[in-house]
Amino acid sequence: MDTPDQNPSLLAGQTAHPTTESAVTSDAAPELIGLVTHEDVDRARDRWEVARARWKGRTKTFGGLRLLWLLVGPGVLVFLGENDAPSMLSYSADGSRYGVGFFIPFVVLTFIMGFIVQEMTVRLGAVTHRGHAELIFDRFGKFWGLFAMGDLIFGNFLTLVTEFIGVRAGLGFFGVRPAIAVGGALVIVVAAITTGRYWTWERITLSLAIFNGLFIPAAILARPDWHAVGHAMLTWTPFPGGSRYEILLLILATIGATVTPWMLFFQQSAVVDKGMQPRDINAGRFDTLLGALLATIFAIAAILATVPLFHHGINAANFQYAQFAEALEPLIGHTGAALFALGIFEAGIVAAIAISTSSAYAFGEVMQTGHSLNRPLREAWPFYLTLFGSACAAAALVLIPHFPLEFVALTVNVIAVLAMPPALAFLLLLVNDPEVMGEHVNGFWANFAGVTVTVLLIIAGLGFGLATVFPKWLGG
Amino acid sequence: MDSHHADISENQGALVPIDVKSEQLSLRDPRAVLSLLEADQVVAAKRRTHFGRRNLSFGTKALLWALRVYVVAMLVIVLISVYQAVHAAH
Repeated sequence: MDTPDQNPSLLAGQTAHPTTESAVTSDAAPELIGLVTHEDVDRARDRWEVARARWKGRTKTFGGLRLLWLLVGPGVLVFLGENDAPSMLSYSADGSRYGVGFFIPFVVLTFIMGFIVQEMTVRLGAVTHRGHAELIFDRFGKFWGLFAMGDLIFGNFLTLVTEFIGVRAGLGFFGVRPAIAVGGALVIVVAAITTGRYWTWERITLSLAIFNGLFIPAAILARPDWHAVGHAMLTWTPFPGGSRYEILLLILATIGATVTPWMLFFQQSAVVDKGMQPRDINAGRFDTLLGALLATIFAIAAILATVPLFHHGINAANFQYAQFAEALEPLIGHTGAALFALGIFEAGIVAAIAISTSSAYAFGEVMQTGHSLNRPLREAWPFYLTLFGSACAAAALVLIPHFPLEFVALTVNVIAVLAMPPALAFLLLLVNDPEVMGEHVNGFWANFAGVTVTVLLIIAGLGFGLATVFPKWLGG
Repeated sequence: MDSHHADISENQGALVPIDVKSEQLSLRDPRAVLSLLEADQVVAAKRRTHFGRRNLSFGTKALLWALRVYVVAMLVIVLISVYQAVHAAH
């Protein structure tokens, strides 16, 4: 089989433009036909399944369900991946320190913000067939591209460390030694990527991600006051009392639990790797909405599961991961606490897979090496090495004695929020670029929502900054 | 697949899309692969074509620089915040 690298003259120097023309009828078809790769064949296989499902969906009742089943993936994965260990820690802190109140509807708002932003990455990926990092480098050049990559890699690595902290702490509740817990997590990451097939990787990771729902039975065992939940949803009250600085920090961490740069890079690249096309955009929107909805429910469940700590006056100010499960055990029982600990483990492992994949996609796109889970190891070893190497490095840090785990866990969500406005600026500029998006450029309301999210994040960040530098302004 | 390449590429410009909805589809036929993918979705096409640099207006550059300064300033503040938290804990 020929490869693109063996024929450097092909299409070289041409400018890309959005098109829905089939490759077989394009002007370049005679040249392309000799350069079909393994990655193309796998992607075509996925597209064949989609084409058949779409065709059958027109004639059969419930036929559309098969189409949705095939196209669901990146959106659910990105949102359940973002319900990661530090995020669940933030939600647990919300519930244990302030009970049922403001943070329940606030979490819903943050996921709406997340949906608005992630929907744009679906369109970008489906229309351009390019990853986010590649588009930033193409359109803004290396200078700005390196800034964007710096934010991504730095944030991803810190977050990855916290995922392994979550894995270690979650299994620690059951008495599993840290080295075994972290080593086992690495084996799962490797098992997911060695399939050499995006579809298989996606389904394995989705089947793990659905266990984020473990927080639901944990919440039920905590016997939540549903009347109070309904009241909080409608009135956004009671508003949290106490230190306004701490509230602001939790607000920031809660936003950071839903809207982060790695999500933009991951979902766009996953949409491309899945082979989605402009005609799939509505299915991609449904996928993203489904992911946001599931993640919202699971996040609220994590809040509700830890509310008994608030009612019993247990100070959870400095709790980390497994400590929540240990403190919950006498209040919601061993089963509830075990489910909570397993949930933290699951959150860590799924996010470790998704975030390391996000880094690898971005690295491959920028270095212009193979960057697809449809590629065999021998063809895309730098991609797989980045993926596995970043996971190994993060896992190793977690095992270093006296490593400041608390320091990393404390800051990771806040850093994610602070790095988000520049990432959103690139996203909005790209999605408003007619040369990139063609007819799929943002409309007024998408821009209004996107700019509003960006401004809100900047205000939250500035508020945090002012409160840190001038703590007396907010009452310490 | 290589034999297919040879046969078909001799008839340049005369590629006929195949019916992708058929019950049996051999993806060993590169025409089938190309019939299922969009023109800019094929790896070879993506490798060789790029969206060119856009001209950044003064306003866009100012926005990007402002946001870069914002991130750096905020990272400094995060460090201050963590220092304060660690200091308070000890």
